[in-house]
Amino acid sequence: MRKFLAIVGREWRAYFLSPLAWVILAAFLLLNGYVFTIILAVLNEPGAPKDQALLYLFANGFTSWFTLFLVPVIAMRLFPEERKSGTIEVLLTSPVTEGEVVLGKFVGALGFFLTLWAPSLVYVWILRSHAPIDLGPVAAAYLGIVLLGGYFVSVGTFASTLTKNQIVAAILTFALLVPIFSMGLLDYLIRDPKTRESLNYFNMWVHLEEFARGLVDTRRLVYYVSATVFFLFLATASLAAKKETP
Amino acid sequence: MIEVENLTKRYPTQVAVEDVSFSVREGEIVGFLGPNGAGKTTTMRVLTGFLPPTAGAARIAGHDIVRQSRRARSRLGYLPETAALYPELRVREYLAYRARLEEVPAGQVRARVEEVVDSCLLAEVADRKIENLSKGYRQRTALAGALVHRPPVLILDEPTVGLDPTQIIKIREMIRTLGRERAVLLSTHILPEVDAVCDRVLIIDRGRIVAEGTPGELRARLAGKPVVRAAFKGAVAVSEELARLPGVVSVEIAEDASETRARLECEADADLREEVFHMAVSKGWVLRELTLDVVSLEDVFVRLTRHDKAVPEAGPEPPAPAAPEETAAS
Repeated sequence: MRKFLAIVGREWRAYFLSPLAWVILAAFLLLNGYVFTIILAVLNEPGAPKDQALLYLFANGFTSWFTLFLVPVIAMRLFPEERKSGTIEVLLTSPVTEGEVVLGKFVGALGFFLTLWAPSLVYVWILRSHAPIDLGPVAAAYLGIVLLGGYFVSVGTFASTLTKNQIVAAILTFALLVPIFSMGLLDYLIRDPKTRESLNYFNMWVHLEEFARGLVDTRRLVYYVSATVFFLFLATASLAAKKETP
Repeated sequence: MIEVENLTKRYPTQVAVEDVSFSVREGEIVGFLGPNGAGKTTTMRVLTGFLPPTAGAARIAGHDIVRQSRRARSRLGYLPETAALYPELRVREYLAYRARLEEVPAGQVRARVEEVVDSCLLAEVADRKIENLSKGYRQRTALAGALVHRPPVLILDEPTVGLDPTQIIKIREMIRTLGRERAVLLSTHILPEVDAVCDRVLIIDRGRIVAEGTPGELRARLAGKPVVRAAFKGAVAVSEELARLPGVVSVEIAEDASETRARLECEADADLREEVFHMAVSKGWVLRELTLDVVSLEDVFVRLTRHDKAVPEAGPEPPAPAAPEETAAS
C-alpha cells in the first residue's frame, strides 16, 4: 500500500512540477469561469428555474468536449515519459507488481484531473449564498465527474502503455475516446427504438445530466466502473507483455 | 548471492545471451566485461527481473527471479545504464521515493535517505533539483537510490560511464567499500576498472562467457607465452645462438643494416632477459634494448573478442551501412 501511495504521490506531484499542469489548470478555470458567468446570467432572468442552475456547471457541452481533449494530454506522459528517461527500468525492477504501477499511475492522473475540478467548489459555495442549492445533486454531479474522469483516464493509461511517444499516446487516447464518447450520440440519429434504448445506455451527455439532477442510477455505476476496470486490466496486461520486447 | 544457470535470452531476431552460467558470492565484486552489444545489459536486465529469460534459471539471494520475482527484486539494488532519474524531483525527494518503493519501513525512510546522502557524498546537492545536477552527481544520486534499502545484492550497469577521472576514482572507492559485505556485479568496458575494482572477471562476447577468473589468472592463462624482445647494434647473426638458449620456443628476427631485432617466445614462467644479456656479453653483441612484454588485461580482452570484428570484415561483400552496434541488444 505504501509503495502504491509512493507511486500515486510522485505521479500527482509530477504534474504540478511541469508547466503543462498550470496551463491546463488556467484553461480549465477560464472555461469553468465562463460557464459560471452564463449560469449567473440565467439566474438573473426573471422566472428562471433557480433550483437547476448548477446543472449547467457539470452537464454542458463545453465540459464534455474539453474533458475529451484534456484527458489525452493528462494521460499521455504516464508511461512514455518513464520509457524515454529509462526510469521505467527502476520502477519495474523494484518490488512492485505491474498492477500496482498501473493503478498508482491511474490514481495519480485521476487525482490531477479531479484537482482541476476542485476550484469549482467555490462556485457552488457562491451560488449557495444566493440561491437555494440542494447539496444532494451537487454530490451526485461530482460523482459523475469522478466516474467519467476515471473511465477516460483509464483509457488514456492503457493507450500510454502502448508507445514510447507522448504525442502518439495522446492521439491514440483521443482516437479511443471519441467513439466511446460519441457512441451514445448516435442515439439521436437512429429511429429503431430497441437500438436507441441500448445506445442510450452509452450516452454520456445524458449520464452527466442525470447525475447533475441528483439521479444516481446503478446501471451507470456498473458501466463506468466495469469499463474503467477493463481498461486498467488491459494496461496491466500490455505493460507485462512489453517486458518481452523492451 | 547471485546464481545463474544456463541463462539464455533470445529476441525474435537474435540471441542476446546464450547459455550463461556464473555466480557471485557475498563480499565479492565481479566485473562483467565485454564489447558493446555483447549481452552485458541484457543479462543484467534479466537478473533484475526487467526482462524474462527465454531459458535457464537465476537466483538472487536464493530467490528464483521468475517464480519469486518480487522477493528477488526486493533483495537487489540496480543501477541501470542510463542512471535514469526523475529530473523534476530534488535529490532527497527522489531518494525518499525510492526508499518507499523498496519497502523501507515508514519510520526509517528519513534516516536511510540521510545515510545514503552521506555515503554517496551528496550532502551539498541534497536539496537541489536533479535536472540541475552535473553528470557525476546524477550518477551518485542513482547509485544512492540503488543503495537506500541496503540490498545484499548490487547490480551496476556501467557505473562510471561519462564521469571525469576524479569522480571515477570516488565511485570506484565507493564500490570497493560496498563490495565488502555485499555481492556486486558490475559491467564495464573499461579495462583498468576491472583491475582496480573487481575480485573476479567474466568476459562475455556475443552472448557467451568466453573467460572467467581473477584479473591475474586471466592474464596468466590467456596471455600466451612470455615474450622477450631484444635489439642489437648492426647486422649480427643472433638467431641460431638465441634459439639454443634453454626455455626458448621460437625466435623471430627482423634486421637491417643498423640494427637486428629479435623476438623470443619463451616457455611459460620463463624470463630469459638475463640469459640474453649474458650471451650478448660473451658474444660481444652490443645490446640496445631488452624487454619482457607485460601482458595487460587489454591484450587478453582483445585476443578473446577480436574475432568478433574480423568476421563481418572477412565477408565477401562490403559491410552494410547499418551500424551493427545499434541493432545489438545492449
